[in-house]
Amino acid sequence: MSTDFTPIPAPSEFSAPFWAAGLEGKLRLQKCDACSHVRFPLDPICPRCLSAQYEWTALSGRGTVQTFIRFQRAYDPSWEDRVPYVVALIQLEEGPVMISNVVGDGALDVKVDDAVEVVYELTSADAALPQFRLTKGG
Amino acid sequence: MNHHGNGPQAVIAGIGASRQGKFPGSTDLSLATEAVRALIDDCGIDKDAIDGLLTMPGTTSNDSAKHYLELGEHLGINPKVAGSLQMGGATCGALVQQAALYIEAGMAEAVLCVFGDAAKTGGSRFSAAPGRDPSWKNWGMFGNAANSAMGATRHMALYGTTSEQLGWVAVNGRNNASLNPEAVMREPITIEDHQASRWIVEPLHLLDCCLITDGGVAILVTSPERARDLRQPSVSLLGMGQGHTLETLAKKDWWYLPHQQDCISRAYRMAGLSPADIDVAQLYDNFTISVLFWLEHAGFCAPGESGPFVEGGTRIALDGELPLNTAGGNLSESYMQGWLHLVEGVRQMRHGAGVRQVADAETCLVTGRGMTLNTASCLILGRNT
Repeated sequence: MSTDFTPIPAPSEFSAPFWAAGLEGKLRLQKCDACSHVRFPLDPICPRCLSAQYEWTALSGRGTVQTFIRFQRAYDPSWEDRVPYVVALIQLEEGPVMISNVVGDGALDVKVDDAVEVVYELTSADAALPQFRLTKGG
Repeated sequence: MNHHGNGPQAVIAGIGASRQGKFPGSTDLSLATEAVRALIDDCGIDKDAIDGLLTMPGTTSNDSAKHYLELGEHLGINPKVAGSLQMGGATCGALVQQAALYIEAGMAEAVLCVFGDAAKTGGSRFSAAPGRDPSWKNWGMFGNAANSAMGATRHMALYGTTSEQLGWVAVNGRNNASLNPEAVMREPITIEDHQASRWIVEPLHLLDCCLITDGGVAILVTSPERARDLRQPSVSLLGMGQGHTLETLAKKDWWYLPHQQDCISRAYRMAGLSPADIDVAQLYDNFTISVLFWLEHAGFCAPGESGPFVEGGTRIALDGELPLNTAGGNLSESYMQGWLHLVEGVRQMRHGAGVRQVADAETCLVTGRGMTLNTASCLILGRNT
């Protein structure tokens, strides 16, 4: 997979752990110290209990495809080399739903509820983009 | 008056719309003003009697937060109550609700709700990416169609809903628009045209998507007593509701927009009505799939059954069991973010919709949604005789 294009943002001080986690192959999200809620999107405050205390916890990286769409054309120049591509809502094993892509073998034929696992192929010096591939053997 | 239920003591007494289409040189303010002029012609209110101004900024407005200031200066009015609100396609319903509460509380007597946008001339692209932190654009998710397309895919997978069934919503809207001289797109289309139109984002085709247009719309809310001094029969607000899923992805089944069902349930409860009591519906159609969701959320059919409900188009046609988007909607009339849905609802309740008039219509449900689909409002209108 080509890495000459990158949608990876410059991480902020706050979001850096999310983007850097993939450099070691991990998916990390915030887990609330007070109520243990694991959340996405990223937020300094827990939306369930409003606590500001949290840790970046490593997740299994496994989930299922809640739903997905296929872009047959790019609406931003940075994606022109990638069409057609799949954007999906991933139901993570630990609870949160996150936005991502399904990439790799069979990605364009993905189905709702397919099992997926996180993969990091698009990286910069300090960030890696979490995407998902179909889990081999379902 | 056949006012029943617990709706507010406030009515819609005037409507006005500008030309709709592409008008180089127009601005959000000039189009809003055209609409207000049309409203004054419609109901005969004296401009100086308007004592409330509630506005929705357009995509081309200067400063959204101060929109009511600009428009108030432009219109030359000094209201008792004023403000601007931005909830996308749910704004119109929410502003009318706010106006009704001002009227009922006696804080104002004649509240003007206004929208204008030169979106076509201004080149609005509606291609922004949703998502706060991180932005969903990191995964290539752009455009307003993408959110709705996500819901469409899962609805198709769970219930066997098809793209052709979505097409019937587009065909119905265009059929009705063909009878509406003010509509931007009046040439009838077929399911084949729908299927052959290009992908915007799969599974949504071009003909699943709303237009982008220039235009303005104005609505006057007043008390039943004041309305008697005006030219047109007033239209009752039998029920009003809102619902919001501000958590987005963290809300279970966000893709299905469960808050929309809550929104309409609240309005039914206020009105003391049920789905079977609704004679005609103007359901917010930013995309065809949205209409299928509304049909289920409003209880016109069971969850998962909206595809078969619209298939063939007979149930939703002007002479069907639930005439739908009778002026053409966002898909074919003009993309006024739901404001024209309300105008058409009022016309239907006045029995003033001409060749599009639904026979004996006494009630109309008008829905709106916006902002990454997270926000919904609805009104149940009632005819007064």
